[in-house]
Amino acid sequence: MASERMTIPATPRTPEIDFDFASGRLALRGESYPDDVATLFGPVVAALREHLAEPSDAPLHVDIELVYFNSSSAKVLMTIFQLLEEAARQGRPVTVDWYCDPDDETMREFGEDFSEDLEHVTFSVREAADRDP
Amino acid sequence: MSFNLFDAEEQVIERAQALEARLAALAPEVGAELTELVDGFKRSYREQRRLVRVSDRLQGQLAAANQEAERRRREAEDALARLREAQDVLVQQEKLASLGALVAGVAHEINTPVGIAVSCASHLADSTTRLTALVEKGELGRGDFNRYLATATDTTALILANCERAAQLINSFKQVAVDRASAERRSFDLRAYVQETLLSLQPNLKRGNHTVSVDCPPDLMVEGYPGALSQILTNLVMNSLTHGYGDGRAGCLRITVTQPDPETVCLTYADDGAGIPPGNLPHVFEPFFTTRRGEGGSGLGLHIVHNLAVGPLKGSITVESPPGQGAVFTLTFPRVVPE
Repeated sequence: MASERMTIPATPRTPEIDFDFASGRLALRGESYPDDVATLFGPVVAALREHLAEPSDAPLHVDIELVYFNSSSAKVLMTIFQLLEEAARQGRPVTVDWYCDPDDETMREFGEDFSEDLEHVTFSVREAADRDP
Repeated sequence: MSFNLFDAEEQVIERAQALEARLAALAPEVGAELTELVDGFKRSYREQRRLVRVSDRLQGQLAAANQEAERRRREAEDALARLREAQDVLVQQEKLASLGALVAGVAHEINTPVGIAVSCASHLADSTTRLTALVEKGELGRGDFNRYLATATDTTALILANCERAAQLINSFKQVAVDRASAERRSFDLRAYVQETLLSLQPNLKRGNHTVSVDCPPDLMVEGYPGALSQILTNLVMNSLTHGYGDGRAGCLRITVTQPDPETVCLTYADDGAGIPPGNLPHVFEPFFTTRRGEGGSGLGLHIVHNLAVGPLKGSITVESPPGQGAVFTLTFPRVVPE
């Protein structure tokens, strides 16, 4: 049985991680430049992989709201996006909202860049002000 | 021809696609698997491109942040240097201002004997004019002549006494002022010098009915910088008058000189004024520390005292203020200041 929810509070170097598999809402918020990317994201990616391994057509929504991330975190994001893309390809409705500060051009471009390989996932770049309260 | 960072990867993809095409005819059963591998490599190639972009961006931001930090560090250093310069200028101005106060004190003190001498001389001149007129008219009587002699005797005595007083004042002030301005090293009698300095402060002391007692061994010869010592005493006295007796009461200042050993001089300056609140004690020698900002206090008076004590005098100064007992400054310095 896959875990229902995985939450890791934010630290100055790591984001808040809230993967609520039961309600189909996953979120990453904050900054991400962990000392050891494997220790932080290893279990997160494993839990996602495990959750997606069980066939489901329940909608899955992902909020990414990062203000800063390092290269390792970028690679993790791409890994997560590929897992989501595979699930979406198999028919699960997956939406990703990529939030960035209105004047953070870099983060916007990274979002657009990362969405290049996503055909089945509905990927939107949004400004942080648009976020639902 | 333009440079392509990912030339090698793109060539591998081209070759893989060519191989895919050749294998489609030769071995169709492996085609799908090969396509999957090629797609995996293509995705990896795109990810690599993205990661390089991410990494470049981050390093660019880091470099910009470093430049910004360096720029701010330089700005802060410049600001600090300007502040130090401004502080030096202010210290210099404060010294000049106290020299100015000294000159004003001198002027005030000399004004009295000179004024008396002038009016006596004027009275003598008037009498002489009257006597001359009587002589010219041939009307000079014995009584007129005796009165004139009495006037001349009185006024010349007064003129002489007051001119001598003025000359004496000028001499002592001259020494203090020259020392103050020139900062020259010389040997001096400490007790006489302390008294000369206090003389220049008489107008200020007299105005508030303050008294000063000096207890100093006679013939204590000090070799060093009398100007610095005079400035220290002036600033301490002015400090007491401003802060210790701001409420208008008459104070009693005590200067006591002892020699803990023959080569060390310990000068204790004590007032019986309001004293210094314990919270202010650790700060009184800091530059710009003042309780009278906005009332003309520069906060440099005691800072200069401290600088002169540790600088030219090569000594030290401490302050105490036992509650209800005024302020006590203890200045310790070598009798012969090392060259």
